[in-house]
Amino acid sequence: MAVDYILIAAAVIVFSIRVYNKRFKNKTKQVKAKGPSQNKPPLTGWKQKLYTVGVFTKLSTKRFFRDRLALFFGILFPLIFLFVFGSLTASNNKVSFSIAIINQSKTSYANELVKSIESNKTYKINHSINSISVAESTMDKNQLDGAIVIPSSFGQTNKNGQPTGTLQVVYTENEQSAGQTLTSLLQSNLEPFNAHFVPVVIPFKAIGHQLSQKSLTNFDYTFSGLLGFTIAGIGIFGPVNVFPELKKQGILRRLHTTPIRVWQYFMATMFSQAITGSVAVLVQFIVAVAVFNLKIDGNYFEILLFVILSIFMILGIGLAIGGWAKNERQAAPLSNIIVFPMLFLSGTFFPRYLMPEWLQKVTNYLPLTPVIDGLRMLTTEGKSLVQIGPQVGLVALWLVVVYVIAFRVFKWE
Amino acid sequence: MADVILKVRSLSKSYDGKPAVDDISFDVYKNEIFGILGPNGAGKTTTLEMIETMRSIDKGKIVIAGLDVATQPQEVKRIIGVQPQSPAFQDKQKLFEIIEMFAAAYGERTNVQTFLDEVQLGEKANSYAEQLSGGQRQRLSIAAALVHSPKVFFLDEPTTGLDPQARRNLWDLVRMVRDRGVTVILTTHYLDEAELLCNRVAIMDDGKIIALDTPRNLIKQLLSRGFKKTQRVEQANLDDVFIDLTGKALRD
Repeated sequence: MAVDYILIAAAVIVFSIRVYNKRFKNKTKQVKAKGPSQNKPPLTGWKQKLYTVGVFTKLSTKRFFRDRLALFFGILFPLIFLFVFGSLTASNNKVSFSIAIINQSKTSYANELVKSIESNKTYKINHSINSISVAESTMDKNQLDGAIVIPSSFGQTNKNGQPTGTLQVVYTENEQSAGQTLTSLLQSNLEPFNAHFVPVVIPFKAIGHQLSQKSLTNFDYTFSGLLGFTIAGIGIFGPVNVFPELKKQGILRRLHTTPIRVWQYFMATMFSQAITGSVAVLVQFIVAVAVFNLKIDGNYFEILLFVILSIFMILGIGLAIGGWAKNERQAAPLSNIIVFPMLFLSGTFFPRYLMPEWLQKVTNYLPLTPVIDGLRMLTTEGKSLVQIGPQVGLVALWLVVVYVIAFRVFKWE
Repeated sequence: MADVILKVRSLSKSYDGKPAVDDISFDVYKNEIFGILGPNGAGKTTTLEMIETMRSIDKGKIVIAGLDVATQPQEVKRIIGVQPQSPAFQDKQKLFEIIEMFAAAYGERTNVQTFLDEVQLGEKANSYAEQLSGGQRQRLSIAAALVHSPKVFFLDEPTTGLDPQARRNLWDLVRMVRDRGVTVILTTHYLDEAELLCNRVAIMDDGKIIALDTPRNLIKQLLSRGFKKTQRVEQANLDDVFIDLTGKALRD
């Protein structure tokens, strides 16, 4: 099913690019037909400066959608992660034990007990294991939580005519908690049997009570993390890979012989990334809603605003690294040193609440952390932009810091 | 003689204490093709880059059309066009978009098609830059350098690596640019190119200008010093043979 969705998503992307290109070709033909008589009045002042930004934005966006490699790494690659992590976390919501039952008894009590265990969904029973030695070796590989041994004496009657028996739960040293939980679970499986022979009144009981509100699922954390990954992938690896190449070929140097300013070039890159990044994020949202039943509990416009702000900020990191580096040899190590720890420490692939508290405190202030937290709060926790003020503020602060650095270190060649 | 458009006075530049350009002065006249000749490492490119505002000036002064290069680089950039040694363009970019982009870099909206037609690339307006041959890229680059109607056009070793047909075509283009009233300044180490193309040439060696005149005058001066070629001058050379056999038509 997941494969179907990938194919559909890919088909939609390819188709929309086709349509876009076709429309675009027709447009240029019209321009051609109009001929040299068409002369627009010259631009001046701010209009002129922003016109430069506009054209560069347009062309850089077009380049992205024509470049299959950029499309793959920008859109499809994060999508693959979404499928992998999404299916991992989606099935991880319930507690269950994988066990083996080794039944050495032939009594009817033993058979009934096995049936009762099999009907309980908490157990995932591996039916291929039927001896203790096989169970032990499977447990050694950590593929089995425990084995339930029903000894041959189980269910045989004693002198008083009552059936007795002791179950054995076998587990390894590092599965102690699973083993103990299993044991008490089995205890409760035996309760109806015992009650049959020894009528008892139980003074203290525990009953489950389900709350009407929903808590965050693992997928909610995974998804916001992957959105952060998508933004970081496009924003950082884009310029870090492209800029050194442009410098090597003298393309940036050539631009530098024209009056274009660094801020104009940066601004065009920011706008174009805002477009391409938003498309990549949108694709993620579509798949998350369609395949993983993501419930969006927030304002779409606010989400978009925050996504764009985040893209601007993260792109600044890429512009700083790519703009500073003279060649790939400088760019690659620096970007790896900065990006990979940030990806792991900001909760991209696993939620930050799993980290020790001191590490959570430190990683709170990484640039990507407020992006991921903010996105989760906006999309699934139903918060508004005002309510996530601290996150917005931190992103804005990083934005200033990162662009001050990027402007200072930028080199055209 | 004609108006001076570029004034270079006592220009110097050194790298790590080694002088690359050593106290040179010269004028370039409006609407001429001015060549800077010299062996590798003579300081041609450094000189050109200082005039183009791309490199800082250690000592001296450069004035283009009344603008001081050191203090008004942004204004200077608006009146010059620069053709790099090996022009490259970003992939996945169509030819007409490249012209549009360069015009936009100067804040201008231009008629893309006329510029492409002028360099015989009109039919390729919708092709990608990476599909062009070396000669076509050169032509595209020239078109891109002219979008803002510059007063001075710089070419750094423009014909290096081109085949004889493409070289001749480039010469024609350079002359066409000059005929539109643009002053052309180029560096080269092909002497035949300088002799055919340039109105005047400066010969550089070791960061200094050691001769500056029209090619004809330079040859005359040499002959007047009693120089004689050991070989008899042929009425044609191998270059002529090659062009005669393969034709002048451009191969792309």
